[in-house]
Amino acid sequence: MNAISIYRNLKGDKAIWIVVALLAVLSVLAVYSSTGTMAFQYRGGHTEIYLIKHGLIVALGLFLTYISYMLHYMQYSRLAPLLMIVSIVLLVYTLFFGTELNDARRWIEIPGLQLSFQTSDFAKMALIIFVARSISTKQEVIKDFNSAFLPIIAPVLITCLLIAPADLSTAALLFVTCVLMMFIGRVSLKYIGVLAGFGIMGIAFLIVIGTLFPEMVRLETWISRLNEFFVNSDGGYQIQQAKIAIADGGWFGVGPGNSIQRNYLPYPYADFIYAIICEEYGLVGGFTIIFLYLLLFLKCVRIVTRSPKTFGAILAMGLCLNLVIQAFANIAVSLHLVPVTGLTLPLVSKGGTSMLFTCISLGIILSVSRYIEQASKDVGKVEIKDLNADHH
Amino acid sequence: MKETTKKRELLGRLYIVMVFVVLTALMLFGKAVKISVIEGDRWRAKGDSLYLKFMPVVADRGDVLAADGALLATSLPFFEIRMDLKADGLTDQLFAEHVDSLAWYLSKYVNPNFSPQYFRNHLIKRRAKGDRYLLLAKDVNYEMLGKVKQFPLLRHGPYKGGLIVERQSRRAKPYQMLANRTIGYVREDVQPVGLEGSFDQYLQGEAGKRLMQRVSGGTWIPVQDLSELEPLRGDDIRTTIDIELQDVVHESLMQGLLRHNALYGTAILMDVKTGAIRAISNIGATENGWAEDYNYAIGAANEPGSTFKVASMMAMLEDGLATPDTRVDLEKGKTRFYRSDMYDSRMHGVEDTTLRYAFETSSNVGIAKTVNELYGKTKNADRFIERLKSFHVHEKTGIEITGEGTPVIKEAYSQKDHWSGTTLPWMSTGYEVKLTPLQTLRLFNAIANDGKMMKPYLVSEVIRDGKPVRQFGPTIVDGRIASAQTIRTMQDLLLGAVERGTGQYQKTDQYKFAGKTGTARVDYYMKDAPRKMYQASFAGYFPAEDPVYSCIVLIYDPKQNGYYGSAVALPVFREIADKCFALKPEYTPPVNETDEARPDGELVFADVREGYRTDIEDVLEYIGVGFSTTRDGEWAESGQEGELMLQKKEFSGGEMPDVRGMHLRDAVFLLENQGVTVHCEGYGKVVTQSIRPGTPIREGVRIDLKLR
Repeated sequence: MNAISIYRNLKGDKAIWIVVALLAVLSVLAVYSSTGTMAFQYRGGHTEIYLIKHGLIVALGLFLTYISYMLHYMQYSRLAPLLMIVSIVLLVYTLFFGTELNDARRWIEIPGLQLSFQTSDFAKMALIIFVARSISTKQEVIKDFNSAFLPIIAPVLITCLLIAPADLSTAALLFVTCVLMMFIGRVSLKYIGVLAGFGIMGIAFLIVIGTLFPEMVRLETWISRLNEFFVNSDGGYQIQQAKIAIADGGWFGVGPGNSIQRNYLPYPYADFIYAIICEEYGLVGGFTIIFLYLLLFLKCVRIVTRSPKTFGAILAMGLCLNLVIQAFANIAVSLHLVPVTGLTLPLVSKGGTSMLFTCISLGIILSVSRYIEQASKDVGKVEIKDLNADHH
Repeated sequence: MKETTKKRELLGRLYIVMVFVVLTALMLFGKAVKISVIEGDRWRAKGDSLYLKFMPVVADRGDVLAADGALLATSLPFFEIRMDLKADGLTDQLFAEHVDSLAWYLSKYVNPNFSPQYFRNHLIKRRAKGDRYLLLAKDVNYEMLGKVKQFPLLRHGPYKGGLIVERQSRRAKPYQMLANRTIGYVREDVQPVGLEGSFDQYLQGEAGKRLMQRVSGGTWIPVQDLSELEPLRGDDIRTTIDIELQDVVHESLMQGLLRHNALYGTAILMDVKTGAIRAISNIGATENGWAEDYNYAIGAANEPGSTFKVASMMAMLEDGLATPDTRVDLEKGKTRFYRSDMYDSRMHGVEDTTLRYAFETSSNVGIAKTVNELYGKTKNADRFIERLKSFHVHEKTGIEITGEGTPVIKEAYSQKDHWSGTTLPWMSTGYEVKLTPLQTLRLFNAIANDGKMMKPYLVSEVIRDGKPVRQFGPTIVDGRIASAQTIRTMQDLLLGAVERGTGQYQKTDQYKFAGKTGTARVDYYMKDAPRKMYQASFAGYFPAEDPVYSCIVLIYDPKQNGYYGSAVALPVFREIADKCFALKPEYTPPVNETDEARPDGELVFADVREGYRTDIEDVLEYIGVGFSTTRDGEWAESGQEGELMLQKKEFSGGEMPDVRGMHLRDAVFLLENQGVTVHCEGYGKVVTQSIRPGTPIREGVRIDLKLR
């Protein structure tokens, strides 16, 4: 009753809301299963603690989704420069003073609270908002190098280079996302081509840094992951376990909570959660996940087709691309299509900041869809001057 | 450019991206199907439990502790060091760089029998073969492990260095033979023994789990960086065993066995008030010398012999059928029941006497005749049996150790139990019944404890991480096994048996103890045995007035120097009791205790006189007498000037010293150092010496000392 009335009152694309809700439910189920490893069961079971913790984070995330959905998306455009500056400061701080976890400095402690905060999650969002803003405001001169390309690409390069040493996968993903945003946003193909070169150069630069300062860059990890991917046709130990999980699941899965492979897979609740979902819910479950992300993407495509060139459309597409590419990258790891990346499955994997920022991203997308929907309904009634400054 | 063209360009590019995304999604679908369906069988087969499995990691076993926390049994860890030569992080470069120095270290510290060159070649060869489980060292102790962890390559740990450390442990008993059988053991495929066996569920801890992967060659190696469950160390158990007393009991029993060349012996020392077993020794002659080979104290139910007369006597008293003054004719030491003769231990010529005398001298005739008279002739044997049962002699004690012998008390007139006309009289003297030494002791302990029967116990608590998690206190079996009157009489009779009866040759002025000897013919059913076999025992308690310990000593098949309980078992008992008093001065009643305060409030100084200075100082400090000392010289004498004062005392060589006032030890030390032969009589301090002090000493002269 209540749920239905909430649903009715929600504006924005209903399909996106459904995607969010389904992924959140799946997340709770999958995290519960994958943390319930034998070890925990054996010691009297503390899985409930993980379930409750994760459940609370999901609930908080959905609340943040709602908040960011309520906010008019143009507010984000106004905040963009400030967010960008804060993000770069935080990234620099993290790179040098962050908390080291698993050989990588990705976290900063929030003083007072005993919480750690993954800076790249924040930076990702800030950058996408900033790039969306730049692309939409510079549509008239978008093919120009000095007045469009350079101002857009500079923050992208800075941010990605700051993230890369500790978290190459995230940096690469963000870079690709921004390039795609620029591609869609009509930046000259010539420069996009140059960017591909930049990407390769960036990686080369990091390898040099890594050789000179091995402490700063996790070169060894990358090499061993790449090595594993290209040398071993069956995949390394982890990948083999993931494949066993997927094969075990068959079409309909072994049922919730019955995963065996969760005991053998490292981080079954993060990197390999897709394999666990396939094991417990079968290919049907696996297809559903892919389909949900695809649906999210198609809905964002629809937003862009309705209102191309606007800040909102580019923003929604950027955030969505980031999510979907990350999701597909994560899934591709479990399926042994790409080397191990360490990327999580957005909105599904267990995690604190990443979950919350994913939820905020979705909230922003929903905010965009809500106002664009409204605008299209209003067409013909009242001429509404778009808050965006650009001219049609 | 027109707006529509711009829009078209933008949407065109969007659709290109869309196509890519959709194609990617389709590719993901396809790959998932490929893995799950097309390659499914292969992956499922690989996921077979044979490939990977959780293996238990054995937990460290808890310790068995003595009452004071001394380690009776503990697990000493040792390690096996192996190397995964194909560890993920062990690159060719890393290996090539450090293999030489690792080989050098292995040769120097692990096995000097092989050259560094040998180790180097070996490592390279095994790596080429892909050995993931190369044994480097066995039986490595903690200290050595620390060193090995610093070796080149290995110092990089499991992932990069391929280090595999497998922990094992060995059970050790620091006190070796002491209470060995009672502490026991748990071994694979063998019936567990002793406390280790019965407290296994606490001691064993909880096994951990570790994921192991099978590699070529069928060996299992631990898989790194996965959830590994640490084993939980077992709990410790604190026993009631007092290691000093255990040593005393063991040593005394050992001497007894050697003295009599016996087959085996056992001795138990129990706390009267609580039933806590303070010491328990079982020593048997084995092919490999003396050993704690079986828990005779707990497991062996034998015919107890005369110690059982205590139960018979108590039954008659409790039933009100007899008193110690009841008259009985001992018939000079031999009587006849039906067709079988019963003898006393010797023909003593005594005829008409009291039941007290019969009990104290352990007359079989006297006890058997009286019991037969009171119960047998009136066909009331069932009443006798019921009374015995009210003393719980037919029950096991329920001691924590498994394998307790079952007591045998025949049912009256029972065909099944082969009850015969002679059963009752024989039973009353401790034949045709079976009890373990511990069960016998429990009965004696109840008498010592004024009729309150305590359950014997060995374990006082289970300790986890230094904190007790389960405690076992004294348990009352029966608050009163007989009336106060009966118990008092029994205490009196047991004291009498020592003071006047079979125990009189071992009585002492130092303290009083009570008890009963037992001499049982083991092979009485063999009419023509070339050598008669006996079981000598003594059960009792001390001090008789306010018993602290009860004790039973049983020696089976003594082959020389006598066979009577009084000659074989009792001296061991005496030795144990003596040493208990020596070890635990708090159990010795003060000799000069007086209730009256001196009316004049004057201090009475201890009469120290003279002696070895540091000894005197130690004793005075221990008993808390204030004194001053010059702390000078080897010898000291006391002077009294308001307080006790020790002064230096010097003895000039060549002159007979004045040893009057000294204890024997000091006197002998002093005199024999001067070449004087010492003869002495009496106890206490020297009161007279046969050679006057100051007389020049001639070598080899003999002096007689009188002590009091």
